[in-house]
This record gives sequence, C-alpha cells and structure tokens, in this order.
Amino acid sequence: MNLALLLDVAAGGLLLGGLYALIAVGLNLQYGLMRVLNVAHGEFLMIGGYVTYLLHVHAGVDPLVSLAASGPVVFAAGVGVHTALYRRLLRQERTREELEANSLLISFGLLFILQNGALLLWSADLRGYQYLDRPLRVLGTVFPANRVVAFAMAAIVTALLLLFLRRTLAGAAIRALMQDPVGARLMGINVARVHALCFGLGVGLAAVSGSLLSMLFELTPFVGLPYTITALVVIILGGLGSVGGSLVGGLILGVVESLGVHFTAPDLRMVISYAVLALVLVLRPYGLFNPAAHRPGQSVQA
Amino acid sequence: MGMQIGRRRFLQVAAGSAAAMGLPRGTWAQSPVRIGFTLSATGPYAVGAGITQRPNYDLWVEQVNAKGGLAVAGQGRRPIQLVEHDDRSEIETAVRLYEKLVTDDKVDLVLPPWGTAMNFAVGPVASKHGYPLIAPTAASLKLAELNLPYFYGMLAQPDAMMGALAGFLKDVKRAQRLNKVAVIHVSDLFGLEQQGALMPLLKEAGFEIVEAKAYPLGVKDLTDVLKGIKAKGAEIFVGLTYPPDTILATTQAKAVDFNPTVFYTSVGTAFPFFRDRFKESAEGVLGMGAWNPKVPYAGAKAYFDAHVAKHKKEPDRWASAFAYAALQILEETVGKIGLDRPKIKAHLDATQFSTVVGPVRFTKGWNQATPGMVGQWQKGEFEVIWPPERATAKAVVPKPAWG
Repeated sequence: MNLALLLDVAAGGLLLGGLYALIAVGLNLQYGLMRVLNVAHGEFLMIGGYVTYLLHVHAGVDPLVSLAASGPVVFAAGVGVHTALYRRLLRQERTREELEANSLLISFGLLFILQNGALLLWSADLRGYQYLDRPLRVLGTVFPANRVVAFAMAAIVTALLLLFLRRTLAGAAIRALMQDPVGARLMGINVARVHALCFGLGVGLAAVSGSLLSMLFELTPFVGLPYTITALVVIILGGLGSVGGSLVGGLILGVVESLGVHFTAPDLRMVISYAVLALVLVLRPYGLFNPAAHRPGQSVQA
Repeated sequence: MGMQIGRRRFLQVAAGSAAAMGLPRGTWAQSPVRIGFTLSATGPYAVGAGITQRPNYDLWVEQVNAKGGLAVAGQGRRPIQLVEHDDRSEIETAVRLYEKLVTDDKVDLVLPPWGTAMNFAVGPVASKHGYPLIAPTAASLKLAELNLPYFYGMLAQPDAMMGALAGFLKDVKRAQRLNKVAVIHVSDLFGLEQQGALMPLLKEAGFEIVEAKAYPLGVKDLTDVLKGIKAKGAEIFVGLTYPPDTILATTQAKAVDFNPTVFYTSVGTAFPFFRDRFKESAEGVLGMGAWNPKVPYAGAKAYFDAHVAKHKKEPDRWASAFAYAALQILEETVGKIGLDRPKIKAHLDATQFSTVVGPVRFTKGWNQATPGMVGQWQKGEFEVIWPPERATAKAVVPKPAWG
C-alpha cells in the first residue's frame, strides 16, 4: 500500500471538499432558516461560472477578481427573486409541509427557466478557459495550482461569512431566527428582511463557488444540478441549519469520495456519497452537528 | 382605416420578394419534403450534438434550399422543411419522438440523433417503420449484430477503430520501447464497446496494462484516477471518453503533471474547441478518428469553408464531415430514386458514394470503405497519422511537455 499516494488522494479530496462546503453552506442558509428548499441552487452556481467565464474571456478580467462581480450581482438577483417569488409564500403558508411543497415547486420552475435561459444565451457548447492549470509542488507531491487557489478562496469566503454571522447585527438576527423563530420574532426581528438577506446570501455563495469551479471544470448550462444534489447530501450530513456542520460535512464528503473512488472506480462516486449519507442517517438522524439532536423531546423547528 | 392592398399589387410584391430571395419561380407550388429528427439540445449529449450534427443539418438545408430545394426524382426540386425535437439526452424520449415523427408527423425522411446509445435505441424504431437512417455518430458492434435492415453506419466500428489504435501503438512500442498502458472508459455503450474491443488487442500485442477503470457519464473529477495512473508509471494513456470528459481528463492530466509518451482521448479531441481551449497544450494529443480539410476528396475544402462561413466556427475534425457526408448520400439517393423508402434502401445497399470523407460503401449497412483512424493535434491542425495510407502527417511521439 502506497501511503504517500493515499495521503495525496485524500488531500485532493479535501481541496474539492472545501468547494462542496461552500456550496452547501449557501443551501443551508436557505433551507436551514426558511425551509425553502431551493433546487435551483446549482443554477445560480452555473450563472456565477458564466459571469466569470465571460468576464475572463471577453474582458480579460482575472477569475479571482471576477468573484467581486459574480457574488454581489447574484446576491442582488437572489434578493429580487426572493421578494418576487417567495415573500408572499412565506407569509401565507400555514404549515411547514405546505411551505416546503410550494417552495419546491417554485424552485423547480426557477431551475428550468434559468437552465433554458442559459441555453438560449450561451448554447450547450462547453465553455472553459485555462487558469493556473499548472502543477504545484507541495511537500513532495503535486496538486493542480488552480485547485489550491480555489480552495484558499473558498476558505477565505467562508471565514468572512462566519465573521459576518458572529460579529454583525444582521448575522445575529440570522442566528437568532435559526435557533428560535418565534422568540426572534418577539424580539422584533424583521423576518421578511432577514429571509431575503439569507436567500440572497445563499445564492451569492453559490455564484462564488461557481466562479471558482469555472477555473477547474468546463461549463455547460447543465452543470448545476449535480452540485445541488451534492450540497443536499452535505447539509443533511452536517445537520440542517448548522453552518459549521456543512463545512465539516463538505470536507468529509470530499475526502471519502476521493478515497472511495481511488479504491473502487469513479463509476461508484455517487454510490459512495449516498452510502455515507445513509450511514449518517442511521446513526445520527439529525446530522452530525445539528444542535437540536442533543435535545431529546424537542422537535426540529425552523 | 387600415391599408388596402389590391390583389394584383399583392401578387407583384409576392413575386418580387420571391425573386429577391433568389428562389426560382414555381417553388411555392411544391409542397415541402418533411425531414424529422431529434437532437439533444439539453443534457449531457447536447455538447456533441451541437458541435457534430446540428450545424451540418442546418448548413445542408440552407445549401439545398438555396438551390431551390431538394431534387426528388420525377418531382423536381422541393424545399426542405425540418420537423425537429429536443430529446433532452433521454433515450426513452428519443424513441417516443421517433415513433411520433413517423406515425403522427408522417415525415418523408428521418435523420439520426447524436451518439451511439441514442442510435442503438432509435435504429430499431426507424427500421420497423422502414425509414432509412444514416448515422454519423454511432459506433457499436452490438448495434451491427441487430442487423437492422434500414440502419446505416458511417463510422469505422469499434473493432476497426481500436484496431487502428492498436496498430499505431504497436508501431510506437517497436520504435520507442513502450510497454505500460492505462485505459479509462466512460460506462456508456460507446465506452464499453471500445474498451471491449481494445483490451484483447493490447494483451495480444504484449502490453502491460497497469490500470483499467470505468467512470460514469457526466463525471466531475478524474484527478484521483490520473494520479493513480501516474503513480503506476503508465507510458501510454488511452481515454475512451466523451466530449466533456475528454476535456476533463486532459485538463486534469496537465494539472497533476501527468505527461505520458502517448496521450489519447476519444470523442471531442477532434473538436476545434479542444485546440482553442488548450492552445499549445493540445500539441501532440492523439484522438479517435480524423478528418481535416487537407484530405484529397472532392468537396472537402468547400465543405470546411461553407461551415466556417455559416457558423463562424470550424467543423470538428472527425464525425462532422461524416454527418455532412451522410446528408450528401441522402441527397444523391433522393435525386436518383425519389422518396420511395424501400427503393432508397436498395440504392444505399448497392452504390458506392463519393463524399467529403472519401468513398463510402455500405456492406450489411455499415460503411466498409473508411478504415479506423487516429488523429493528432499538430500546430493547430488535427492531422491524420494512422493508418499510413490515409495519413496527412507523421505522428509526433513522444508527446511534447504540456505547453
């Protein structure tokens, strides 16, 4: 058994896991807080990717710089989408089941509209560019330079997000709503505004991940959905509503997938990630890090 | 209110516009020839369909209609009207749509969808209803075994295609003393069959196979696999890949600094996109099948130029030309025979055609006149480097370092 190669493969998985984590945190902000399951999450990622691609290829903008465009633009679009499509829904629906079902319908519609819009605008051609696709030698092994850079950026964005959640008033409001929606409301938190903010943040993070992914992989209008599914696995793994859980969950999934693929075949990547998910669901049904899981007798409310 | 247009004035204007559009008089009187097909506009097959087939269908229809329509024996020229659907890369959807095209839309002719698995599924439908289907993107011995009477395949089949690759590799093995081969394949009918054809040939030739792995359609990451292959010291890399994974494998091989002496990938390598994407790094990459405007066949250069003029992009350097050639064959046959489909079949079975890919002759429905070929990117052109009698350039081995 070649230990060096194993560590190498695991580290490669960790790098990809960092991106999974960033994508999943965005989804978790939406689902954990509002029970709005946005299956079009990956489509916002795809749009972020195209923004970076277009800026880089046509205007020569460095992909890392373009994050400053794709994130805020999609954030604003997300706030707009939330105001136009979800606000009324969140006000009207009485039960959580109704809310989940109807928000799912909306986001499926959104998925098709965004995907086909992208298809009309940019066609199904593969789009990609070369960016730092050189080998980078670290500790006697080789990593793709762009992957290391993407991981570092994902880490920085995540750190900024955590700072925002911990240190700002808006962040405190989000955490308060996650922990106890009724209590938060009683304290005078403007729920509608926080929801719009969270939705925007979620898709903005997806767009940033998409920009980073466009440095590594080719784009088509259909790249989004698999990432939505990966993100879903991660947030269930880490626990709904737990930002830290999503981070750890993403990293774990990346490493397990890489090692699993190394020992079996890439054909089994999805099987491996679902197997991990099933195992966690059996052992810890509320996810690895869901705070509610430690309080028996109390249902998971959002 | 409103403008009154007299009948005479209307006819003058209509005739004037017809003339202005360059359409011969009388075109209006002819009902169109309706030609149906599905292509994947969405889903994983959309990339290949949008590069290899769609532009050629559009180019051909434009060229034919500019001549006044498709010449149908005994009926003069009739304009072509396309009846088309998106199969969404779903095989069952494509099957349903072809049923609809022939039974409900009642089209005169059908054109094939993109890809081996798609053609495998709709071939039987077309044959059941007696519609000739000339497929430029199908490579499958299993499909050949079905003996579909109305199905025609343009490409060299997996045994011939992999035979050409093995022939080339044997030649390299002799000259360069290479031995260690790694093979990965997409687990789709295409990859499975190519792999099935290649492995015995490699073993027979005495190669040491250090890795053989399958990966799924739509794979997102191959770095782990490539790192493993690199660690095992592979000197020859063979990827039996589809377009997105061809790009993925190449990008990631470069990024993990895996630069074997021979680097071969399959569908998509011949796309101009590949060259434009990788620039100097494309140099020396080998690919499945090959065609370029330098081949010595009538109309090849004109086809290349017309494609560039219409679509502002070059045709791919393999199956694009075969897609166009299939349309040339259909056009020629309808011009001689008309739209009687059993008679079209008889003509296809009995005729040697001259096309932009050279002579084409079907034996039991498969083109036997085109051998399996290997191509290689050299200074911006995808040169035919194997077999020697078809070569447009000499192979560059070892592959230069990634640019």
